[in-house]
This record gives sequence, structure tokens and C-alpha cells, in this order.
Amino acid sequence: MIANAAEIRKFTILSWGWLTIIFGLVWAVSWLVGVAIPLLLANVQADWARLVTEICQVLTPLVAVMVFIPINAMFMVLAERRALALFTVRKGPNRVGPDGFLQTLADALKLLFKEDITPRGADAFMFTLAPIIFFAPSIFGALPLLAAVTNNHNLFQVVNLPTGIFYVLAVSSVPVVGIVMGGWASNNKYSLVGALRSAAQAISYEIPLVLSIITVCLMAGTLDVVKIAEMQKGGLLNWNILGGGALSGLNKYFQALAAGQADAHQMLSQYYPDWGSVIATVVLIACTVLLVGIYLTGACAEINRIPFDLPEAESELVSGYNTEYSGIKFAIFFLAEFTNLFIVSTIATVMFLGGGDCPLPDWLNPLTNPAVTQPVGKFFSFFTDRIHLIDPSTFFPAIWVIIKVYALVFFAILVRGTLPRFRIDQLMAFGWKRLVPLSLIIFVLVTFAKGAVRLHV
Amino acid sequence: MFDWVEQLFRGIWQSIVGLYEIRRGLGTVAMHALRPPTTEVYPDIVPPLPAHFRGRLALTVNPETGEHLCISCRQCERVCPDKCIEITAHKSPETNKLELIDFKIDHGLCMFCGLCTEVCPTYCIINTNDFEMADYTRESLVYDLKKLTLTQEESAYYFDRKENPLPKPKPAKAAPAAQGAAPAAAGKAATAEKPAPAGAGQTAQTKAATEGESAKEAETKSPDAQVAPEAPPKLSNDEGKSDEAKPENESGEGPRQG
Repeated sequence: MIANAAEIRKFTILSWGWLTIIFGLVWAVSWLVGVAIPLLLANVQADWARLVTEICQVLTPLVAVMVFIPINAMFMVLAERRALALFTVRKGPNRVGPDGFLQTLADALKLLFKEDITPRGADAFMFTLAPIIFFAPSIFGALPLLAAVTNNHNLFQVVNLPTGIFYVLAVSSVPVVGIVMGGWASNNKYSLVGALRSAAQAISYEIPLVLSIITVCLMAGTLDVVKIAEMQKGGLLNWNILGGGALSGLNKYFQALAAGQADAHQMLSQYYPDWGSVIATVVLIACTVLLVGIYLTGACAEINRIPFDLPEAESELVSGYNTEYSGIKFAIFFLAEFTNLFIVSTIATVMFLGGGDCPLPDWLNPLTNPAVTQPVGKFFSFFTDRIHLIDPSTFFPAIWVIIKVYALVFFAILVRGTLPRFRIDQLMAFGWKRLVPLSLIIFVLVTFAKGAVRLHV
Repeated sequence: MFDWVEQLFRGIWQSIVGLYEIRRGLGTVAMHALRPPTTEVYPDIVPPLPAHFRGRLALTVNPETGEHLCISCRQCERVCPDKCIEITAHKSPETNKLELIDFKIDHGLCMFCGLCTEVCPTYCIINTNDFEMADYTRESLVYDLKKLTLTQEESAYYFDRKENPLPKPKPAKAAPAAQGAAPAAAGKAATAEKPAPAGAGQTAQTKAATEGESAKEAETKSPDAQVAPEAPPKLSNDEGKSDEAKPENESGEGPRQG
């Protein structure tokens, strides 16, 4: 028996409770705005009704994101504190609410009502603008991912872009401007040093980050996140993390074997005709596994998380670029940081971990078996067909996305609990001398290996 | 010529080793999640403190009679390195003995060194196990006699816990000196005899029966020997006169103790 079962159980209950609240709320709000109001107005033959319907449908993604971001950040702060407490053999916040359930809610309320101080000598306009510029990209960056994580639900198709992933990457590089602006406007040398470090670091680590994403796009042949997520459907072997679809032939072969087809071996030789394709597959698998590592490293640096939290190194700079911030502005900085963590985890999920795909292949997955789904579907037909509360083609993928994203977030917390902070010269050397060449080499390797094997068959 | 190849492979090998080390670190940290937390849930569960924990200072009363043990000898005031103790006493013109009027300790100054408790001849001033003294003003950290004096039960608890010798029995000669207070004195003498059997009981628990007798004598004598040079004259003086002025004294001490 695990000695710490009680604390782990508390953490699990807390996480699932918060997740239920977050996604229940987002679900309810998107349903209300995107489905319920248009359904109510469907029989009204008037111009204003059509106008309201249009507005509602366009507003749905925005409302969903706006509801989601603050609650999610609150949960992530609490989860991070509790998980770090687990790793460091402590209890963590456990006073507010049952087992500290409401701790971050109390913190958020406190920050909202705190005095908002602008330091003497600060550029007040820039000082106010900085948190906004830091926070806004996390909303805009989250929008195009909505369609990918909900299996292209028609409520969120509005915000899907054909150049989705590049838009997300472009937008996610804007927060640096906010940090530099805030550090400069604070009239504080620590803030300025933190801000400049952040700029240097973000520029250095954006290159391997973008190169790893480009490589995935190269293998997929598209920039559309929905298409990339759809390509990876059909089980673990189809995911980009394992060869970017090079193993999907193997997946098909296993499926044929399970179905008892006689020509299964022929199928294998069809997908992997020669040794060249086998070598290419192995190379691709090695490359994509490394790519995930590069992506996560770059993302960690991009969002200033430990071990790359030099911009706010507590032991060197007081609190880095947000030293002078207090009250609601600090809350916005905090909110954006955790939202960025969520967004980079979502990008990793969509690009590498198959989006909303179940790790089990289709022929093993009970959720794709009609014998299972039809009776359940009948039971829920009121919700699915009459009021459109549940869309099964979105529901299960969304749950998989949630599990994968929070697993990555948990991994980031584990890394935070383990690794010490880099020194600035080590950081630069690691970024420019290791990660950039490595990602370029992988890019070239993938370019050649991609030609020798069929991907995502 | 092929140095760069060697360097390349060494670099790759070092990277692999480094990744393995990072993975090992992650595993170690993750395994820590399975350990029960070392945190003590303090306000809910107060940790057990040792008897000689130096917490808030307090003045004891005689656990048997409820009489205040302070004899206003000012030794604690003299020894205090912070000068945080302030004793107000006067020699009563009627009884010609020191009478304690007020006893102030500024806990904001006190550094809890425990020197005062060591010099106290009557084991009156002690360090209690209480440490929750947070307050809103500095003034409220100055404790007066009323706040400092413990109740009879608390005194008994601390005397028992710290294994301090119980207060010396009142001198028997004081009883006949005042005929008016004879019943009270008799009662006091009767109660004052109790400490000896109690001490015997304590020692009998730890030692063998035969040894217990001698040990009891040795132990009960040694504190007497320590206290004797300072305390007995004052105590006897105190006792002799207080019996005459008993009614006023009792009524005067009552509210202070309460």
C-alpha cells in the first residue's frame, strides 16, 4: 500500500472536481450561447432573430475561451501548488474550503481588491498596457485551437484558420513585447534585466520551437491544426510522436491481423516495400521523439517556466519583470502565464499526441463499436438529438484532449519540482549550440526520410 | 584528423548520459509523491512539546493551597539580560515583609532565555508550554500580575510536568504563634505535609522499594538545602506575620490571583 494514499486521493479528488467545474461551465456556456439561443429563435421569423443567431454563433468561441481562461488558471495554480507539495513531501494549501479547494479563488479575490500601485517614475500608460499585451495573445492564441480539440465541432469552425498553427505560433511570440514593455515601464533595474533576459530567451528558443512545429507540418503537408489532428486518428501508432504517421501502415496490418484477413502480410510488404522504408521509419520515429523533447524544451523557455524562468528568477532579480506589479495587473500576468502553459500543452497535444484521439486503435476501442454506442446513444438521444447538449463526436475527443493536456501540465510541474534554474550563459549556449542545430538536422533528416515511406496511409 | 568525430560522439554520449540523469531525477522526485508529508497540521494538532520548552513566562501558585509563590526577591529582575521584568513590591509597615504589588513582564522584549526560571528560589516563575502569544499591539505584550499568574490546576500541571519540587511546607512554629488562626494553620500544616508522601510516590515509581526510602530522603533534602539559605528566613518571617494579618491578606491576594 502506498504510504501517501490519502494525500494523493485528495489531490485527485481536487483535480477532478475542478476539471468538472471548469469544463462543465465552458460546456454550459457554449451550449447556451451557441445552441440554446439559436434553437429558441429558430421559429421566430424576424430580422433581429437572425441577427442574434449570427452574433451568438460568432461569439461562442470567444465566450467559451473567456469563461475558460480565468477558471482554468485558478485550477492550474492550485494543482501546481498541491502537486509540488506532493513532490516535496508537504501538504500544500489545505485551509480554504474543503482541503484547500477554494484557495486560488480566495487568492484571486484578494488580488482583485488589492491596491493597484504604479511606482514613482514609471511610465503609467505603458505600465498599464504591458499586462494587456501580455494577456491578449493567450486569448487569440487559444481560439484557433478550439476546432482542433473539439474534433471540428461546427460551433468552433468559425475560428479555424487554414494557417492555424502558424497563426498560433505568431501570436504566442507577442507576449515578449508585453514583458519588455512592463520591465521598461516599471522604472526598476530588476524588472528591466528580467525583461531583457526574457526577450533574449524567447528569441533564442523560438527557433527550435518553430522548427519542430515546421517539421511536423512538413510531414503532415498542411498547416491546418484540424487536418493535422484528423490525420492522427486511429490509435497510438498513428500519432505524430511515433514517426509522424510512418507507423500507420503497421497499424493497418495489426487491424487486418485482428480481423483475420489472409492477405495481411501482403499489406505489410505493400506499406514497407524495402529496407529503405524501414530505415526511414526508424529515423522518423527517432526524429519525432526528439522533436517532442525539443518542442517541450522550447515551450518551457517560451513561457518562462522553470528551468527557464530566468526572467523572474527570485534569487537573482526580485521577481523579474513583474516586480513592480500588484493587484489586478499582477493577476493578469499570472493568469497569462498559466494560460500560456495550457496553450503550449494543447499545441503539443494536437501536433504530437493525436489531438482528441483515443490511444487504443479503432478495432480495440469500445467507443467506436456500434454494439456499445447504439444503446448508449438511444439512452442519451434526448440530449444529443433534441436539445443538442451532447455531441458524441465532440464529447469523447474533448475528454481525451483534456486528459492529455493536463498530463503534459503535470509533467511540466514535475520538471519544475526537479530541475534547477539555468544560468544565462548556459541557457544561451544550450539554445544556440545544441537545440537549433539539432532541430535543423532533424528537419533535414525528416525531409529525406519522408520521401522513403508513406505517411498517414 | 578525426578529432571532430571523436568530439561529436563524445557529445552525443554526454547528451544521452545527461538525459538519463534528468530522467532519474524526475523519477526520484515523482517517487517522493508516495511519501507521507512531513508537515504537522499545526493549529489542528498541536505538536507534543518537551517539559522544558521555553514558552511564555508565568508565575505559579502553590498547587496545594493556591498561595502565590513569588516572594519579591527580585532575582529574576536582576538576572534578566533584557531587563524585561519589572517587580513592584513594598515592605508592608505592619507586617515588615515584602509584599508583591505588581509583576510585569514585557514579552516583546523577552528572549526566552529561561535565566529567570533558573534563579527563582521558589520555582515561581516558569516557562510554560504556551507559545501562541501573537497580539495586535506592543502594549498588550506587557503582561501584568493578573495575566501572568496561573491557576492552581495549571500550577499543579507544570509542577508535575517539570518535576519541580513542590513548595516547602510552612514552618510548624508559625501555627502556635497565632491562636486566632489556629484552624486555618492546622489545615495548612495538614496540607503542607502532603508533598512528602507525593514525592515518595514519585520516587517509588522509578526506584526499588528499599532504595526508594533513601532516595526519597536524599531528594527531598537536596532542594531544601538549596532553598534554605535564601527562602526560609523570608518564608518564616512571612509566615509568622501573615498569620496575624491573615484576613486582610487573604482578601487582598484573592482578586490578584483570580
